[in-house]
Amino acid sequence: MDNIIVVENLSKTYGKDIVAVDGISFQVHKGEIFGFLGPNGAGKSTTIKILTTLLEKTSGKASIDGLDIDADQAKVRRIIGYCSQEVGVDDDLTARENLMLQCSFHHIPKEKARSKVNELLQKVRLTEAADRRLKTFSGGMRKRLDLASSLVSDPEVLFLDEPTTGLDPQSRQDVWEYVKQLNKQGMTIFLTTQYMEEADRLADRLCIVDQGKIVAEGKPNELKTTVGADKITLSFKVGDVGACEKAAKALSNLQGVEEVGKCVMGLTTEEGLTIMAKNGSAVVTQIVRALDGAGVEPEQLKLTVPTLDEVFLKLTGKTLNVIERKEAVRGGRRGMRS
Amino acid sequence: MRMEMFSEVVAIFRRWNTKLLRQPIFLFFSLIQPLVWFLLFTQAFSAIGSIQTPQFSFASLTGTSSYITFFTAAVIIQTIASSALQAGIGIVNDLDSGFMDKMRVAPIRKSAILFGKLFSDAISTIIQVVIILVIGLALGVHIASGILGALMILFIAATFGIAWSGISLFVALTTKSSQTTLSIGLLTTFPLLFLSASVMPLQLLPSWVQQVAKVNPFTYIAQAFQNLVIKGFIWDSIGYAFIAILIIGVISLGASILVFRKKIS
Repeated sequence: MDNIIVVENLSKTYGKDIVAVDGISFQVHKGEIFGFLGPNGAGKSTTIKILTTLLEKTSGKASIDGLDIDADQAKVRRIIGYCSQEVGVDDDLTARENLMLQCSFHHIPKEKARSKVNELLQKVRLTEAADRRLKTFSGGMRKRLDLASSLVSDPEVLFLDEPTTGLDPQSRQDVWEYVKQLNKQGMTIFLTTQYMEEADRLADRLCIVDQGKIVAEGKPNELKTTVGADKITLSFKVGDVGACEKAAKALSNLQGVEEVGKCVMGLTTEEGLTIMAKNGSAVVTQIVRALDGAGVEPEQLKLTVPTLDEVFLKLTGKTLNVIERKEAVRGGRRGMRS
Repeated sequence: MRMEMFSEVVAIFRRWNTKLLRQPIFLFFSLIQPLVWFLLFTQAFSAIGSIQTPQFSFASLTGTSSYITFFTAAVIIQTIASSALQAGIGIVNDLDSGFMDKMRVAPIRKSAILFGKLFSDAISTIIQVVIILVIGLALGVHIASGILGALMILFIAATFGIAWSGISLFVALTTKSSQTTLSIGLLTTFPLLFLSASVMPLQLLPSWVQQVAKVNPFTYIAQAFQNLVIKGFIWDSIGYAFIAILIIGVISLGASILVFRKKIS
């Protein structure tokens, strides 16, 4: 696998003792979506700003497509696109004007720019709103335009800093779709997020970061299996005396089952079972069969797979869960998607 | 390379012009403010025109006994100074909105970002000064140097505007706060205006004020304007004005570009 981003021992210190990024190293493969997952203040934005040449690093090394971010700064800028958290678009201009302006920043000739802009507007479904000023745009529309504006130069690597923070669920889905599409066409994408669901859905590989350090790195599924097994919960009918014991006996020797334990189910005081297994979905059929053989009928069966949040919890002792804001970033009107 | 730099400046310049034209409120205020200045000050201080001291008279020092004619220069300078504030404010807005990061990630020169903005501000300064001159003419001001003199006034105003904007750019880029940029601009404009030869001829100022006024760039700009309005082309005073513009411009714009080139977060 070719590495397109190589980061070695990167650090950023503000003032004397505020360490935002603390000696991180990682590689991003060409053509993948690489996620940087962590809570606010973990150093995600600082890292992305250093890689996009916006911020001076304190120490370490980083290169993009073999170009050093300091020595070859000008060349780096020609091959990257960047969407900041703040949504860098000009509200006084129309969508089309914003994109044409970006084209001129990249020295794209007028004629070519015109067709490029039309193509991008279509891609992000803003063709109808193209000649309206952004003041009337919803948060989702502004974000889509922002995304389009960082694509005018067909960058090799696209940097997205918390691309869906503050967006409503539908706009979030839209952004995910675009990101996947772009990636399918071969674009490498580096994204930061505080949403584990986003990292899980989009990233081929990801780093979990906390307090300026990388605490884990790998594919989402690999990371999830490090926290342990899938959990299968069984409950039995009220008054079905002895069912629980019978079931426990029948299941404890099943292949793939690691642990069977009793638990108290929800609101009732009825007993249930929790079964830990490495490959939950495969084990479920065997469980059902074994229960059948033992003559026990479960009332409910639930399979839970570990989430990245649990990975984060295990590694840092904190939870990632963020309270999501419902409204769009700038209070844009909802339901105005074209 | 030169061509690229040029097209970058043009792109930024056009962006700001579009933004400017979409703010009708701007044109309204650029009409109202000089009117207020003209009417308030020249009405309240009209007696200045007939000042007579044992050594001097206002008329013999300035060449006119009409205070409003003399005061035209002060209105222009005040307008340039408050319009120069806009450069810094615009840059801070771009820093806040994330648009600046977008420009800084693009392969364009830092100086193009600043000069595109400065040239656009020069256009708005020219529009405002034209409005002032028209109001002045309506109020009976006669421009002795004629149409060419008026063009010279516009040229000095635009170049001085660019140089003076450099100060607000520098403050904006170092503080990244529109509050601070605005306060510093407003707090310096009035003292500088009244401690110069803009509102009163140099010889009629108290001696300590005269000392300050002699090193105050507003004095040289004001005298160039006053001469063009009252007397005609006096090349000495025009020369001094351009020297002042050059010194301020080199320092303020040089410092701004240096600060801007450093990576800021």
